[in-house]
Amino acid sequence: MGLLTNLKDSISRVTDGLFAADEPKRIGIYGPPNAGKTTLANRIARDWTGDAVGPESHIPHETRRARRKENVEIERNGRKVTIDIVDTPGVTTKVDYKEFLDHDMDKDDAVRRSREATEGVAEAMHWLREDVDGVIYVLDSTTDPFTQVNTMLIGIIESQDLPALILANKTDLPGSDVQQIANAFPQHETIPLSALEGENMDEVYTKIAEYFG
Amino acid sequence: MPHQCTTCGRTFPDGSKEMLSGCPDCGGNKFQFKPAGETTDEQPSPAGEKPTAADRKPTASDEGAAFATDNSASSTQSTETQSPDSSTVDSQASDSETADTQQSDTQQSDTQQSDTQQSDSEHVRERTEEDVAQASARSDVVSPDELDRASRDVETDSSSSGSDPDTSPDPEGPRPDIDDLRDELNEQFESIRIVSPGKYELNLMELYDRQEYIISLQEDGRYVIEMPDAWGISDE
Repeated sequence: MGLLTNLKDSISRVTDGLFAADEPKRIGIYGPPNAGKTTLANRIARDWTGDAVGPESHIPHETRRARRKENVEIERNGRKVTIDIVDTPGVTTKVDYKEFLDHDMDKDDAVRRSREATEGVAEAMHWLREDVDGVIYVLDSTTDPFTQVNTMLIGIIESQDLPALILANKTDLPGSDVQQIANAFPQHETIPLSALEGENMDEVYTKIAEYFG
Repeated sequence: MPHQCTTCGRTFPDGSKEMLSGCPDCGGNKFQFKPAGETTDEQPSPAGEKPTAADRKPTASDEGAAFATDNSASSTQSTETQSPDSSTVDSQASDSETADTQQSDTQQSDTQQSDTQQSDSEHVRERTEEDVAQASARSDVVSPDELDRASRDVETDSSSSGSDPDTSPDPEGPRPDIDDLRDELNEQFESIRIVSPGKYELNLMELYDRQEYIISLQEDGRYVIEMPDAWGISDE
């Protein structure tokens, strides 16, 4: 019985490896709103394909539909990794149109944006359940990472046994505290970066190849 | 009009056989029983008075026994036996405890069948009361006031019994206002709570756990969801 089980495991490892070589892994970029997910997605896409994924904005919930950039080939240490990047809307437990009113938006637009953002969160959660093979979790290193959303999402990712890379973004800002993020999720490796300035992207790509290759 | 289809509103005279195989107009199988003398007669109570009827178990079982003993299957009795069912439906069939109680009443009445057959005098008394009530239901016209009161009783009863929100809106009633609709949807979909227009609370675990996913929220609080492929519907 043990022999059969071992044989079965060996076969499945080989077939998994074959499929992994053929099909790009779909990597979801997750995190709370305004953590810099789209900035990172654009940085990765521009660095390796020349195209952008979507518009970046300082207004929360700029990304309200998951956007995908397919067949992004990342070369690291002579090894080539092909991934599909899925930039997802920021996940949150509350969406209020009033937070958009400060950004030169009239009430109707703010209400519509709020509704679309809510749909976006629903879509992001659906993708997490159905369609991603790995997660890049982006956090703003200038804000407190101990939130319900972060804890819940990291918990879901762990329960799914998905490979996860935690990025502490916005290290270019004065209040950045990478260690706080590392302390919040000690079971994961935390990589500091500034997606906006392109700081430490080399390490990010190395880790992407390592985690998702 | 002792019987009314709750779907299309068609009414049936007492003793009508048309409704036995469903409403001929809409095929509905839920009927509301509204006897004319509902406040004074010893009839099976309309939906609004169901709890009172349940309290008077001996009466209910006696009536059941009377139906069971008379196997001539007159049309009057066949509609009568349907009335407890219809009242259960009107008062939200999801209340299973009530349904069980009524079933047990019926079963109890079956077991008492032999006893009732032996006591002829009691049997006659029941038949007499029934006939009087039936005659009154056939000859009298229900006043609009009584109808209105009966419908209000039904609504009160259903709301107090913690009914399923799926069945609560009356298809013939006025359209519920937007706040009621929103509350109702919030009860059904715990994954997204619409606090007010443009203000939402999301239950991430619910959103993650549900197989289908919400792809669009409408202005009036309705949702559009994508059906999972596993249900055999192609969505692409």
